[in-house]
Amino acid sequence: MDKDILIEYLPLYKDALFLTLKIGWQGIFLAFLIGLIGSAILHFKVRVLKSIVGVYIEIFRNTPLLVQLFFIYFALPKVGIQITAESCGVLGLGLLGGAYMIETFRSGVEAIPVIQTESAASLGMNQFQILWYVILPQAISISVPGLLANVIFLLKETSVFSTISLMDLMFTAKDLIGMYAKTIECLFLLVVFYLIMLLPISIIGAVVERRMRYGQFGD
Amino acid sequence: MASLGIDVLFKGTNFLRLLQGLWVSIEISLISVVLSILLGLIVGVLMTINNKILHAILKVYLETVRIMPQMVLLFIVYFGTTRVFGWDMSAEASAIFVFTFWGTAEMGDLVRGSIKSIPVIQFESALALGMDKIQTYFYIILPQTVRRLIPLSINLITRMIKTTSLVMMIGIVEVLKVAQQIIEANRKVSPNAAFGVFLVVFLLYFIVCWPISRLATYLEKRWA
Amino acid sequence: MKKNFLSKVTGLALVGTLAVSGLTACGSSASSSDVASTGEDAVEASSEAAGFRTLDEIKESGTINIGVFSDKSPFGFVDENGEYAGYDVYFAERIGQDLGVEINYVSTEAANRIEYLQTGKVDIILANFTVTEERAQEVDFALPYMNVALGVVSPDSAVVESLDDIGADDQIIVISGTTAETYLTKNYPDIKLQKYDAYAEAKTAFENGNGVAWANDNTEVIAFSLENEGYTVGIPSLGDQDTIAPAVTKGNETLLNWLNEEIETLGAENFFHAVYEATLLDTYGADYEDTLVLEGGK
Repeated sequence: MDKDILIEYLPLYKDALFLTLKIGWQGIFLAFLIGLIGSAILHFKVRVLKSIVGVYIEIFRNTPLLVQLFFIYFALPKVGIQITAESCGVLGLGLLGGAYMIETFRSGVEAIPVIQTESAASLGMNQFQILWYVILPQAISISVPGLLANVIFLLKETSVFSTISLMDLMFTAKDLIGMYAKTIECLFLLVVFYLIMLLPISIIGAVVERRMRYGQFGD
Repeated sequence: MASLGIDVLFKGTNFLRLLQGLWVSIEISLISVVLSILLGLIVGVLMTINNKILHAILKVYLETVRIMPQMVLLFIVYFGTTRVFGWDMSAEASAIFVFTFWGTAEMGDLVRGSIKSIPVIQFESALALGMDKIQTYFYIILPQTVRRLIPLSINLITRMIKTTSLVMMIGIVEVLKVAQQIIEANRKVSPNAAFGVFLVVFLLYFIVCWPISRLATYLEKRWA
Repeated sequence: MKKNFLSKVTGLALVGTLAVSGLTACGSSASSSDVASTGEDAVEASSEAAGFRTLDEIKESGTINIGVFSDKSPFGFVDENGEYAGYDVYFAERIGQDLGVEINYVSTEAANRIEYLQTGKVDIILANFTVTEERAQEVDFALPYMNVALGVVSPDSAVVESLDDIGADDQIIVISGTTAETYLTKNYPDIKLQKYDAYAEAKTAFENGNGVAWANDNTEVIAFSLENEGYTVGIPSLGDQDTIAPAVTKGNETLLNWLNEEIETLGAENFFHAVYEATLLDTYGADYEDTLVLEGGK
């Protein structure tokens, strides 16, 4: 491996990391919002909306992100819906992630004993208050390990953004290999940068999960 | 519908080719799932053994799979191994290798979980009956874990099928690549083909994955 | 296009063993430390390790692996019956015929072409591969069979006639791993490039209006403007006049020599003019025949 090449490529990978993180976090934030709203709709069994959320989950959980992106980015403009590559990345990641987040939140909500809802209701809280003050705080903390797993999953999925011309880590590696054929150096940097991005989150996830287990034990 | 380019699919053998492309994806996933289940059982059992070195190695393995995107692994195996070790793996072999590498870790973790969930008393009873460790695993533990694993491994199949969309990147002509070829060959006569063709690919994936994941959910509820 | 059953089975067996060996050394094939440690001593050995097949080995096996584009009409594409077709493919067919072997077409992307040769995954690249100095360090080019330069195509509504007109926020579409990308990166570092892997993706994105212009081989952009209404080649020739040639793995002299002789022999019968007429005439008309075609490597 050639050190000079590594140093020469380093800034390009750094830029790519920032782009990946930028789109990644925006997408994950969107997914988080969709998750909250969607799980609330399922929780309250809102008519019509409930079925829409159900269909949405099935569609986005059963198709690959790459195909979703291709459809949004290459196909929709043919019927007049034009989106920039970055927004397409955020939207694709958000829609895919949302479908997973809803499930994660829902299992968090379902983990809370019904008696709490009933007690809160008997204290005179309305449905929204129950959700906001009683259920959500607990549900979110129960869902934390699941959420972190989703975050890792979604950040990993950003590797397909390269196909819609976003210069993420994967693209930078492929592109440099194509131009200068320094395969080993490029792949090495690629692995290093994914480690930098995801290893900390993975470790946090493991720690949180252990904490939670102790928490439950002490209950 | 002509303006949306769905008509292109009825020209020549286009639609058939698209389905063949889809079959390539399904084939790769099925082979990988079968290999993953077999190897996953072994890895899962290994994970329950109390040995620090083994434990550390498996930890690194699991973490690698958790963190590295499958696309990165595909590139490393397909291009990297030839460079470093001189192995000449075909694209299909690389894809199956990577998916098995990934699936084995996932299955292994699930197997570990279900073995742990079997009460210790069963191990002890088996030992008391004079079975050795291997017999205990083979006759007592594994049969019970397998049933819990079936819905989870069915789920893995859909995830594999979805992930096979990436193999286009290492030159396997699967459904997405066929879609691109069709769009390209018909650009002149049907400039909007991108809409129709990608829509159909989207639906094809859904039609394949949805029933499988419903089946998994159903079995999970029934056998829980 | 379809792999035969035998190769699948052997592939599987290989994977089986690899998977097992991969497990005993769990995680080795992907962990970063491993790549780092084996990387250094492997660099020099890579050309040997990668390996290529000599002419005799190819003839003996009865099949030649040729890397072509599968989404670059009219040079290399797949028609509606699933058959490979186009200018490059026409030449490939002739190579197979004269060698007396079957052809296994491998679908490549621009950025993969060097990689495919260096890892011995194909014997010849016949994918509109422009001869450049950088590439010649990595692979061996045979005699050229086509002329090429760079060109830039843009919509009629806003024709780009000079690269100096490109605004700060405008993006030019290029395909990753092409000479257009290298040229623009080197000579116009300020222009924002929007890069795609595949021709089909780049063209669709260009049609969708995601970039102000598309820079590529001029053969390709001229073909695009002729085939699709509403586009003009504002810059027909950019950078150096280059040539397109078949490429083989570096050091594969037997195959290289055979290819060179083949191209010279074909020149005697004006083969590439015939190829032009069979594959490109519909797109370009007769006007471009003499500017594009190179006969006998000259």
